[in-house]
Amino acid sequence: MDILAVDDDPIILELLGHFIEAVGGHRLTTAPCAQDALAILEQKNTRFDCFLFDIQMPVMDGIALCHAVRQMPDHRQTPILMLTAMTEKRYVDAAFAAGATDYVSKPFEVSELKARLTLVDDLVALRRVNTTKVFSAQSLSDQHGQADEIVALELHEPITIFDVDNVIENNALENYVTQLSRSALFGSTTFAFSLRKIEEFHAHMSAFEFHSLIADTAEIISDTLHRHQFLMSYAGNGTFVCVTENGWRPDAETLMDAVNLSLARSELYTNNAERIYPRVSVGEVVSLVWKTGQSAMGALAEAHTSAEAASAAHTRGLTDFWLTERSA
Amino acid sequence: MKDMAIEMPGLEKVRAKFLHLLPERQNQIAEHALAAWDATDPADVVDNLTAACAILHQIAGSAGTLGLVTLGEAAQKSELSIQTHLERTDSIHAQCPAEIVKEIDTFVSIGQAVLEQQT
Repeated sequence: MDILAVDDDPIILELLGHFIEAVGGHRLTTAPCAQDALAILEQKNTRFDCFLFDIQMPVMDGIALCHAVRQMPDHRQTPILMLTAMTEKRYVDAAFAAGATDYVSKPFEVSELKARLTLVDDLVALRRVNTTKVFSAQSLSDQHGQADEIVALELHEPITIFDVDNVIENNALENYVTQLSRSALFGSTTFAFSLRKIEEFHAHMSAFEFHSLIADTAEIISDTLHRHQFLMSYAGNGTFVCVTENGWRPDAETLMDAVNLSLARSELYTNNAERIYPRVSVGEVVSLVWKTGQSAMGALAEAHTSAEAASAAHTRGLTDFWLTERSA
Repeated sequence: MKDMAIEMPGLEKVRAKFLHLLPERQNQIAEHALAAWDATDPADVVDNLTAACAILHQIAGSAGTLGLVTLGEAAQKSELSIQTHLERTDSIHAQCPAEIVKEIDTFVSIGQAVLEQQT
């Protein structure tokens, strides 16, 4: 991987240099401040697969840098690892909300940093495969003159949603909950919204239309939750997983009604000007207290499954209602 | 430290550079702490404590990886005390408390001991 590391401490930059050399297989570029990093990124023909940013830096900190990098079309999805001695939750939250993929606490253990970079490397390799698929499909669609058919999105595939407040990548949300300390998980909950009849939408929409539906729904959920501290990701299969903090225990039914009301008011259409009527179901609100690491991941999965079950139950309920009416 | 050195050749060189920079960094921290203690203008107190905090942050971030765990922990303790003090919303944050100066003094002493061990 081509890695850009930004830290105002020359010792850390030197340490990273030796570390990357010892691990092998990567090339490291370093910058002593955010401004220098942005200047490097603005140069033509520069390409990076991964960023390592310190949080606390003078003038422009790592969180602001993270935000700036995410505005660059070439780096909207490039993994960003925050290297930080500031493990306080508010800094970590701000970093994830600004677009960080993961974080490593300083002083770092060499083995830990190595493990995290391996995960990032795997992610980069996976994205290269997906990008190849996108470009293959794009050239095919260009030949057929179907500009919106740029790629086939799998129903179960998590989609990255850009420019929606507090919406982060699915793997970043997983990294976030698995690294929260036990005390930080007090008062935190997770729950999920699932789009009803998502299979039908997926089957009848182009990839572009489906992507737009997911992005529009994410924006509506984000707007509905805007008064609260939360992070959210699209986990695939029409399901949006949320993590809330600061002791707010949401009333699932009220939230579902509010999101559905906004969806109804939003008047969403397909490319053929056909109006669509997406609605969500919400699952159980799962407390994250006592759940660290993998059990926190289990809680996310529980919230996800519960929302999909609620969505399926709603659809089944409608079918049963009509069957009952007919037999009466 | 031994394991890390085996895992990462070149670590000794970085450690030597860190120790070379340490006296200068300690001096800067001590100077900022004393300036904050003597200051009568609240802005000077905040500026000097912020500057000391930034240097302590750097030491806290790398000392542990270089095997200087006690020094790193002392730096982090001082850094957190300063941060907590600066985040206070009452007027007390416009003064430099004696506890912070004492903690920085402890940090500097640990640093001196580390440097003496090297010679």
